[in-house]
Amino acid sequence: MDISFSEQDLQFQEEIRAGIASDFPAHVREKQEKGSSLSKSDIIDFHKFIYEKGWMAYNWPVEYGGTGWSPVQIYLFLNELALAKCPNILPFGLSMVGPVIYTFGNQEQKDRFLPDILQFNTWWCQGYSEPGSGSDLASLKTKAVLDGDHYIVNGSKTWTTLAQNADWIFCLVRTETTQKKQEGISFLLIDMKTPGIEVKPIITIDGDHEVNSVFFTDVKVPADQLIGEEGKGWTYAKFLLAHERFGIAAVPAGKVQLNELKEITAQYNDVDLNKKIAELEIDLMALEFTEMRSLAAIADGGHPGAESSILKIRGTEIQQRLTELFVEAAGQYILPYEGPDGFDSNMTPAGPDYASASVAQYLNYRKTSIYGGSNEIQKNIIAKAILGV
Amino acid sequence: MNLHYSDEQNMLRDQVIKFCESSYDFIDREKILISETGYSSDHWKQFAELGWLAIPFKEDNGGFNFGPIELTVLFEEFGKALVVEPYLSSVVMSGTILEGSSHPEKVSIIESIISGEHQVAVAYAEANIGYNFLDCVTSITKESDSLILNGSKSLVLNAANSDQFIVLAKHNDEAVLVMLDKSAEGLSTQNFKTLDGQTCGELTFENIILPEDSILTSGKDAESLFNKMLDVSILCISAEAVGAMTSAYQKTVQYTKEREQFAQPISNFQVLQHRMVDMFIETEITKSLLIKATLQLDSNDAETSKTISALKVQVGKAGKYIGQQAVQLHGGMGVSNEMSIGHYLKRFTVIDSMFGNTQHHINKYLTL
Repeated sequence: MDISFSEQDLQFQEEIRAGIASDFPAHVREKQEKGSSLSKSDIIDFHKFIYEKGWMAYNWPVEYGGTGWSPVQIYLFLNELALAKCPNILPFGLSMVGPVIYTFGNQEQKDRFLPDILQFNTWWCQGYSEPGSGSDLASLKTKAVLDGDHYIVNGSKTWTTLAQNADWIFCLVRTETTQKKQEGISFLLIDMKTPGIEVKPIITIDGDHEVNSVFFTDVKVPADQLIGEEGKGWTYAKFLLAHERFGIAAVPAGKVQLNELKEITAQYNDVDLNKKIAELEIDLMALEFTEMRSLAAIADGGHPGAESSILKIRGTEIQQRLTELFVEAAGQYILPYEGPDGFDSNMTPAGPDYASASVAQYLNYRKTSIYGGSNEIQKNIIAKAILGV
Repeated sequence: MNLHYSDEQNMLRDQVIKFCESSYDFIDREKILISETGYSSDHWKQFAELGWLAIPFKEDNGGFNFGPIELTVLFEEFGKALVVEPYLSSVVMSGTILEGSSHPEKVSIIESIISGEHQVAVAYAEANIGYNFLDCVTSITKESDSLILNGSKSLVLNAANSDQFIVLAKHNDEAVLVMLDKSAEGLSTQNFKTLDGQTCGELTFENIILPEDSILTSGKDAESLFNKMLDVSILCISAEAVGAMTSAYQKTVQYTKEREQFAQPISNFQVLQHRMVDMFIETEITKSLLIKATLQLDSNDAETSKTISALKVQVGKAGKYIGQQAVQLHGGMGVSNEMSIGHYLKRFTVIDSMFGNTQHHINKYLTL
């Protein structure tokens, strides 16, 4: 048994660290340090930086322009990004639709879509959930009917993250009503500029506009934008879920936040709060080593099994508890609140400067135990796959 | 990076599993508990023959020179079957102190521990000092040329079966660890059964005259050796706890699949499923910290004590949760003494209480 990284891996880590230090766009870094929200162009600038460093396809195979990095290298790369307070690399193109296209798409589709994903020329969003289909995703109703060389799409998608910025959407649509609901689902790529698509913001309880409803009314989608075979969409979607869930535990980001919290509470000498922070730090340490155990298994050629559900459940619980402790530290000064971007700089209320951002994140992070397969669904998965009940 | 056990470590695990399967079912264990010694001397002989008693000792002292990894393998399997033999007391606790000392007879004492003939217990706790063991009242004074021991020690594991004691005491305001024979004049003992089926004793020392060579170590060396003993012991009972957690959640899953109510196995109910998933997750999370602490202790990492405290906190919390839920999901059977499941709860309760409980180690973690 040996948990240390090899010399080469440590050198790799050093290169990534140095690359971030020298080239992470300053205007994005500054906003990240302050905790203010990023504009569309900030996010694009960040992704262009990642692309220009040659790091974008960190998890793709070499033949599609991937880095060919080992699981350990990918782990170290994501770790360094988080420790440097980089925003997340958006998963929708790179980690979601990209792997589906290079695994199940035809050559023409690969040539057409993959390069733009890598260069972040297209912003993708995910059309899965519907108003009536959340955890029971396979019950989805958005319909696609083949009419000559086009599908006509009608229905609606919801909780679509950053659809307001997106150029394309990948959708699960129903092409057939079958006995087994999973069998009538297909995987369709749709240009967001196609007539008949309407995006409406959903404002979340923190006041932010992150998610949307997307409505489809007689949207004409060329049939060559279907991935793979009709009726196999569910299989592709499941593949996508199983496709590496590195970073889902968000340990390095948690560490950064925990250190910030400790800096804040160092001034208070609040014994009860300090104990809660210690307990959280211990839980984070345990989660980090759980992730290392999965990493060691993957590096060995194994597959992250249902155990990665542990990382999702525990990771989100810890992220949420962290936000609670910031709120607890801020105490009564969370009362004045005007939204996720804080206050006008000429008129700030009494209280610590982190108060407003803390409560914004507290409210925002309630999503983490709901998205990506709610934590209750994750527990169903473990119950079935591991406990056999 | 790899987290594989070596072939040798896997062989050891298989050996312990085989022993527990063939000689340690719940009924076998019950018989041991009501026996006079509270453990099986036949098993102890077998441990010696299998070489298990030699595991942590250096080759120079007749041992196998294995380390924390092998100890945790052994203890994890012991924990699954709730083994009560005094391995922790005699081999781990006494062994760690003896091996770190410069006692002239240390090699022969260790050899006799390894052969299974001899048992030594560490007397570290006292009535009024809580978990601050080094703040002990028991003291050694020097009168003319003799060392005189006075005071008392409590919760001495396996005291009744031990031939010798290692006593933590104060001498000139410094910590000392001294060797004491059970036959020493002025020593009286009172023995008790413990909550989890083991035994412990209270020792009282009245003007005991110690031989000159009884001091094993003193001052800063004694403190650091004692603290090392605590770290290794916490690691071992944590491994035992992980084994017990594994058994407790697996037995619970099995029971809910067999128990039928409302014309179906109660494992069909989602409330129970999620509870068992939480038990499984707690077990895995504890195992993660156990492996981390094991590897750090093995490599003398500077963060070891901090991780050990973190581990003890996690073991305390997870043991309590899993033990209680295992009883709850077994329904009335869970509180029945003739079912094994309640005995896991008792062991978790004892493990949390030993060498600093959850609260103690949260506070200690904050200082490290």
